[in-house]
Amino acid sequence: MPHCTPEDLGLAALGEPLADDEAAHLADCAACRGEVARLRRVVDALAVPELAAPGPAVAPPPGLWAGIAAATGVAAAPRADVVAASAPAAGPVPDVVPEPLPAPLPAEPAGPMAPVVPLRSRRSRLLLAAAAALVAGLGIGAGAVALATRGDDGVPVAATVLDPLDGSDASGRAEVVERADGTRVLQVELSAGAPTEGYYEAWLLDESVSGLIPLGVVRAGTEEFELPAGLDLGEYPVVDVSVEPLDGDPAHSGVSVARGLLDA
Amino acid sequence: MTTEAEPAPAGAAGPDDAEVGRRFAAGEEQALAWAYERWAAQVHGMAVRAFGPGPDAEDVTQQVFVSAWTGRAGYRPEQGPLPAWLTGVCRHKIADTWARRDRQRRATEAAVAELNAAPAGGPAPVDSTVADRVLLLGELDRLGQPQRGIIELAFFADLTHTQIAERTGLPLGTVKSHIRRTLERLRDRLEVDGAALHA
Repeated sequence: MPHCTPEDLGLAALGEPLADDEAAHLADCAACRGEVARLRRVVDALAVPELAAPGPAVAPPPGLWAGIAAATGVAAAPRADVVAASAPAAGPVPDVVPEPLPAPLPAEPAGPMAPVVPLRSRRSRLLLAAAAALVAGLGIGAGAVALATRGDDGVPVAATVLDPLDGSDASGRAEVVERADGTRVLQVELSAGAPTEGYYEAWLLDESVSGLIPLGVVRAGTEEFELPAGLDLGEYPVVDVSVEPLDGDPAHSGVSVARGLLDA
Repeated sequence: MTTEAEPAPAGAAGPDDAEVGRRFAAGEEQALAWAYERWAAQVHGMAVRAFGPGPDAEDVTQQVFVSAWTGRAGYRPEQGPLPAWLTGVCRHKIADTWARRDRQRRATEAAVAELNAAPAGGPAPVDSTVADRVLLLGELDRLGQPQRGIIELAFFADLTHTQIAERTGLPLGTVKSHIRRTLERLRDRLEVDGAALHA
């Protein structure tokens, strides 16, 4: 009985059944089985359910586009109703059990989504850099800053540079310091000319820029804001400085002048 | 060759999918928004299948669109529909995420071992399959047509060579020999570079 053809060995590696006499030879021939095993390493790596052709569509959550817009600077936006209609909102239960995570991730908040505050679409160098790092597979946040431990002031736990957003002259850095009593303080060093009208305000945002925590009024120089106990910086990692008009409206104006991503 | 294109959902008025692909390649911003309207659920669905619903799947979905847009020069409309290309980008992001986790796992284990002053038992084992996937997906990108379409139908659509011949209209013998040659090429890539990678 001659050896199996290379074509048959390829099909066997893909798990296709062979004709009876080919299969019988393969069962008896170590050389042919060795060839199949070498080819099968390729098949085993790629022919896995997670990489298969798209299965059930699952509509992405509403806040997802904001990060793409920020990273690409694209001003056009998809229509939320069309996206929502592109798949059943509650996706089917995946039939693949995901691998356990190496570290538990913060659970998604249950209940209704935070109201989306429409921030004016603008190119964020920061999120662009963060996306570039992800694309390069580095998995590090943008604007990582060397931390100087200052004994008396507590321990720095996260920091970022604040990059100016389009057309603004504002920049600076922000650092979260944990005090001996466990409270955390955000220190913002801002370098910026006084706004032509209104005032600067500091915020913490989530990465989709849909959840916002107002911290307070900030001027050029250094300001400190105590963070609410229990606030998860992993969930609100973006430090944002906005220009707010004196109009009595506590909501974000949508005009941000500088931003940074805490490298917690 | 079309391997995995899904038609745009009904109700998404606008240019047809091929036109969206051409405008995307040309860098027209509106085309990114259309692509998201039509195929974000498909991409996110793949990510959910790999990681379960939640932040990981959402991150991968964002990465796919950001990466596709910044890398749009790599998309050739004449070589296939945009959704199939996005699916390919999504495969890369899923594989990259697995590889990153594997690196983090090993770094954590090494740090723990150091803390415990454990006797050095050598570095933690590399999950070689994780690295193999990243390497092989990169090699798939370098294949021409029809080889790439054929092997993707075998790997990702789970079709037999007979079904692939029917689907593509290519002779059975041609499909078989393309499968064989592509598998051997991928195997060589693994055995040459994979060995260096895991050394």
